[in-house]
Amino acid sequence: MSRSYDRALTVFSPDGHLFQVEYALEAVRKGTCAVGLRGQDVVVLGVEKKSVLQLQDPRTVRKVAMLDDHICLAFAGLTADGRVLIDRARIECQSHRLTVEDPVTVEYITRHIATIQQKYTQSGGVRPFGISTLIVGFDPHDTKPRLYQTEPSGIYSEWKANAIGRSSKTVREFLEKNHKDGMSRDDAIKLTVKSLLEVVQTGAKNIEISVMESYGKITSLDLPQIEAIVTEIEREKEAEAERKRSRLAATAAGQAAMTQRAGEGSGQ
Amino acid sequence: MDIVLGIRVQDSTIIATSKAATRGISVLKTTDDKTRALNTHNLLAYTGEAGDTVQFAEYIQANIQLYTMRENDIELSPKATASFVRNELATSIRSRKPFQVNVLLGGFDPKTNTPSLNWIDYLGTQVELPYAAHGHYRPDMKLEEGLELLKLSLKELETRMPIDFKGVYVKVVDKDGIRDVAEY
Amino acid sequence: MARRYDSRTTIFSPEGRLYQIEYAMEAISHAGTVLGVLAKDGIVLAAEKKVTGKLLDLTATKEGGYGGSGEKIFLLNSNVVAGVAGITADANSLVNFARQAAQRHLYLYNEDIPVELLAQRLCDLKQGYTQHGGLRPFGVSLLYAGYDPHHNFQLYHSDPSGNYSGWKATSIGANNGTAQSLLKQEYKDDITLEEAIGLTLRVMSKTMDSTTLGSEKLEFATLTVDPVTKAPKAKVYRPAEVDALLQKQGLAKPDEDTEMKAT
Repeated sequence: MSRSYDRALTVFSPDGHLFQVEYALEAVRKGTCAVGLRGQDVVVLGVEKKSVLQLQDPRTVRKVAMLDDHICLAFAGLTADGRVLIDRARIECQSHRLTVEDPVTVEYITRHIATIQQKYTQSGGVRPFGISTLIVGFDPHDTKPRLYQTEPSGIYSEWKANAIGRSSKTVREFLEKNHKDGMSRDDAIKLTVKSLLEVVQTGAKNIEISVMESYGKITSLDLPQIEAIVTEIEREKEAEAERKRSRLAATAAGQAAMTQRAGEGSGQ
Repeated sequence: MDIVLGIRVQDSTIIATSKAATRGISVLKTTDDKTRALNTHNLLAYTGEAGDTVQFAEYIQANIQLYTMRENDIELSPKATASFVRNELATSIRSRKPFQVNVLLGGFDPKTNTPSLNWIDYLGTQVELPYAAHGHYRPDMKLEEGLELLKLSLKELETRMPIDFKGVYVKVVDKDGIRDVAEY
Repeated sequence: MARRYDSRTTIFSPEGRLYQIEYAMEAISHAGTVLGVLAKDGIVLAAEKKVTGKLLDLTATKEGGYGGSGEKIFLLNSNVVAGVAGITADANSLVNFARQAAQRHLYLYNEDIPVELLAQRLCDLKQGYTQHGGLRPFGVSLLYAGYDPHHNFQLYHSDPSGNYSGWKATSIGANNGTAQSLLKQEYKDDITLEEAIGLTLRVMSKTMDSTTLGSEKLEFATLTVDPVTKAPKAKVYRPAEVDALLQKQGLAKPDEDTEMKAT
């Protein structure tokens, strides 16, 4: 048996790496991009939607799933792994309701998912889950929007805004630059779309947006709504570029005038 | 001494349950709701051994909700829900400690636009009925007539029952889902 | 027990790929073609049989056994027919699992299993074989043609990774690229079952190696709904029926017997 340290899962490499976990993250990086963003009273999930093939049924392509009435999850990575993990989370949500008579909190279900992911990095004969997740929602009897992330390693963390999947680094950097605390619903949606446009070249038709506004109230934007936002963003970018151009022109003109005046002055 | 009534009318099903929670001859509570909403179009009303009833109803509720979540919001039909409940009770009766629960399942199937009323007992007997109370019933009754009939039935019960059952909660299941009827 | 700790399970490559799955898919791309077309009033499934030979005893299959003629097309439940491509032995065990899952659903809910749910059940099993137990993935892709009241006629495809998706028309196995581009050109949204049968057979005749089609190389099934009872009706064609159908479509090979008689 040619077993090297990077093939058996539960073994550290000499320099302290868990290779399978790192490789699983590579699978996540190959997945389509997903963005989560918290505003003042809302939390927005945006995902890059792969174009469906001509004869494919778009209904069956799902990257965003409800775990319970008040919690929503998006994942990046291996679709089949995502489906299986979502199923286990859904069971836990109902089981929790049954045993403690209360719906789960967002952190609870995040921790539950992360714990499952961790187990698959340490048990015999298994490979890690090839997915990262963004989990959004509201806790029961609470108005604070929540956003969490889990990774193949089993790490979980809470965020104001974050991205997973393809080019998530670019998107995260964009979010770091542009996210403000206490954004309105519209601003939060717009920033989500804007950040996705950093990596989605094909525009509105490849973007899916879900907005959760309060406990159990979730809406998905339809294509015309997203198109309108994309157009608005493009117009703003256009206007910004225009302003820059005219500012440049104005400075140039000003400089020219100054030189001229200086010339005239010296002439006198 | 709990009362659970159901009447299926033309386009909806009415469920009425007594508000009194009793133990022996004493009334413990006068605002006891003996129903659980399983999904948008299925309402479970129960009687039986205290403790068993709520435990069973909520166990069923969790399972039906799980089905809805897993199936991306496709809900189990009243018929499928009734079969599931029957199956659970039939399994339970053959276990070491069976649930002592009888249920009425009021449902509306939005796919076929039909209301239904299923009667299932702790032995696992399941029957689809037009009404689970005796009276002046016609299948083509309107909802208002159904509620009127319910009033008559309740009056009869008030006369004949040895205890005060503290009135009833009345709920209606139709194409729009489950809703409370306030004036009872 | 020792196998549980075997490290020969499917694992990630440094680029985050699962080669075992990719190899399994490779195996499927050599298998006999399976093709499905969704019509507004039914679904068509056709499959290319690979196990042929002059001495192969088809007397049992001639009669068309319950649930299919044997190698490629199987009845999973009264509302779902499936075509399989890949390792036949793996397929048999998946078909068995699917039939049990469908019956379990019927037992529990007294209703036919929704088609997508059945596909999901199989995919959960397939996914499991890519993640734990020191096992290899299933070397099988399936096409599911089914009917339920939630989404009416449906066609799904699932692969060894445990992914699935819905289609209007698609193909798996050898030459599936050719088949798919032909389908893309010719498929129309309001296609009838009759037209879908024609389309299916035309595409099959172009993708299969042999120039003429016959029941010894082709399996065929349709799924429709009974106009009166609204119950789904699966029909797995018997060899004689396949030949008759091909004759009707003008795609059958000339009958050797009649030729002999003519000379």
